[in-house]
Amino acid sequence: MATQTQVSANFKSWPVILALAIVSLPLIVMYLYFFIDTITDSAPGSLIPNAITFRHWDFLWQARGNRPSIWPVALNTLVFATTVTIIVLLVSSTAGYVLSRLNVPGRGFFLAGVMVLHAFPSVTLIVAIFLVLQMVGLYNSLYGVILVKAALEMPLGIWLMKGFYDTVPWEIEMAGIADGASRFTVFRRLVLPQVRPALMALGLFAFLSSWSEYILPQVLAPGAKAQVLSVYLASLIADDNNFDLSLFKAVGVFYIIPVLILFLFFQKHLMNIYGGGSKG
Amino acid sequence: MNSSRSLGLMLLTPAIVLVVLFFLVPVALTAVFSFTNMSTATGITGGAYQIGPSSLQRLGDKYGFPELAERLSQPSYVIDERGLVALDAAGVDASTITEMRTHLGEVFPTRREAERMIKGLSARPSTREVKQISEQFNRSLLDTRYESEGDLLAGLDALGVEVTPAERDAVAASSYSGWTWTTDNFRRMVSTPDTLRTLINTVFYVAIVLVLFNTGYAMFLAITTYYMPETTGGIFRSIWLLPRITPPVIYVLMWKWLAWDTGFISMFLGQFGVAPKNWMLDSSTNAWVFVILINGFVGASMGMPVFSSALRAIPKSQFYASEVDGASRWQQIRYIILPQMRWPILFVTCYQTLSLLASFDLILLSTEGGPGGATEVWSLMTYHTALNNYAGNLEYGYGTALSLVLVVIGVTLSLIYLRVFNYNALVAKPLIEQ
Repeated sequence: MATQTQVSANFKSWPVILALAIVSLPLIVMYLYFFIDTITDSAPGSLIPNAITFRHWDFLWQARGNRPSIWPVALNTLVFATTVTIIVLLVSSTAGYVLSRLNVPGRGFFLAGVMVLHAFPSVTLIVAIFLVLQMVGLYNSLYGVILVKAALEMPLGIWLMKGFYDTVPWEIEMAGIADGASRFTVFRRLVLPQVRPALMALGLFAFLSSWSEYILPQVLAPGAKAQVLSVYLASLIADDNNFDLSLFKAVGVFYIIPVLILFLFFQKHLMNIYGGGSKG
Repeated sequence: MNSSRSLGLMLLTPAIVLVVLFFLVPVALTAVFSFTNMSTATGITGGAYQIGPSSLQRLGDKYGFPELAERLSQPSYVIDERGLVALDAAGVDASTITEMRTHLGEVFPTRREAERMIKGLSARPSTREVKQISEQFNRSLLDTRYESEGDLLAGLDALGVEVTPAERDAVAASSYSGWTWTTDNFRRMVSTPDTLRTLINTVFYVAIVLVLFNTGYAMFLAITTYYMPETTGGIFRSIWLLPRITPPVIYVLMWKWLAWDTGFISMFLGQFGVAPKNWMLDSSTNAWVFVILINGFVGASMGMPVFSSALRAIPKSQFYASEVDGASRWQQIRYIILPQMRWPILFVTCYQTLSLLASFDLILLSTEGGPGGATEVWSLMTYHTALNNYAGNLEYGYGTALSLVLVVIGVTLSLIYLRVFNYNALVAKPLIEQ
């Protein structure tokens, strides 16, 4: 807020800035060294790097020890995150529209249900979901986790889309109906373009959330075939025989780069969701 | 009316299917499974019937039929088609097999009797051959797997074991290897001292993180960055969003680097002669400090954006007016900002309470509940019971009973929130009635 300095002209802001800088220091140090350590070497017991090296990145072109190559794992992660995003967008954009606009029986009930589900901590169901997937044979398969993750993200998506549809003026739809279009045509041709920013925000959110997801793939699909980057990295760290922080960090940077790129370019869209409050 | 209704139901269907499959069914199953003793040992689908040493033990001790158990543990010999085929495959000459066929259907309760018959065959087999032949007809019930109770009882009949109905039931019940219904899970939950300790841990953890970070520190961040010049405030807000957008595995990895014995704190303090150690896991106090900080930093980045956007919604004119009246910044916060933040604070508190109660990924990745269970919280205990532990026997039944507690709390609180956040205002009547 450019006007803010003016409002508070009679206050000194540097003590507050200093205090915030000090409490932010751990985060800054952690992230700084997170990147620096992947391309440098430093003497044992020293924090100051003394050589630049790319050997921590050799996992990109050769498999380390008995680990699988990282590329199939990265592909799994991409497939996982993309598919979940598509499902969440399809389901939320249609269901959100119904709850916002259409005269279906039990609309209030459905809306209350979505609100309850949005608040409900779905991870408590993980044991039962694990048993269900075992019974229907979707355990250890990427399909199973995709469905579960999409289902768990959906209440937030429906809730969000409902809110955005509420802001679309009724006149647009009334004009479409008056011109003889069906409700579905009106929805697809007139209303959906209006909520494109919301679809963008929700899509980004769902993608980032699935890309980062750890517990669901770890519990529901830990096998080598369906492994995603979070599970891969966690098992790398948990392996006591090959403790190499720089390698972990290099894999971590590889894993986080898409997140940071998306965040840098689309921060405004994402803040729509973060600012509105989600349980995350 | 009709078109809107059918279109609406059609568009809702995928959402309803997903809700039923991954919310309603799991909630119901959590309740159902919590009354079973399901585990890795019993399997999760229906069990099988198998008489073995342990089931005979049970039959004798628990059901009071030691004599029947003794009888079942004896081998018994039945001359049947299967055995004759096996003889043929083993290379026994055809005349012996033909002669054996005349004994088809005969049952011998002991090996001795069976072998006496075989010795009497016209081929006069040697002792070694007698053993070889008799072995093919050993039809003991021991270690044979039956898919259903009927198969098991048919197996008993085929052996010619005569049992009373009471004995039949006892055999079936003692040899069943699948899961059964029980209320022991809840009894165990109430009586184990670990449960109480975990409960205290959970309440402590949720309360501290919620008050100090998710609301307290998040509000501090929102207010301080609000008063800063735009770019400076933006930088701090971006820094404090990092924990939220960073995948949990990487985020915890950074903390581990900070705390590990070859990590930052150890090296930094090493310059001053402090011996390196694992600062995260060396004592339970330290473990708690790290668990709270790790979760707290993420929690702050959950609350901060909510408070920031709520702050920006307060009309600027109120600040100008108060400045003119000579209000100090503290008075602005106290009398303008905080009263208008009541709803955002309530919202964050409500949602984050449930979120903190249920999520365990950060603790699992950092301390794993250690050292020695010091930082074990309820949701993590569920995970350790049912999904992953060192012993390898995953107790699904007890695990679902533990998670049922969280599910009940979750459903109850969510329903209450529905009331609190007055949802009736959100259901506007559709303006197009077709």
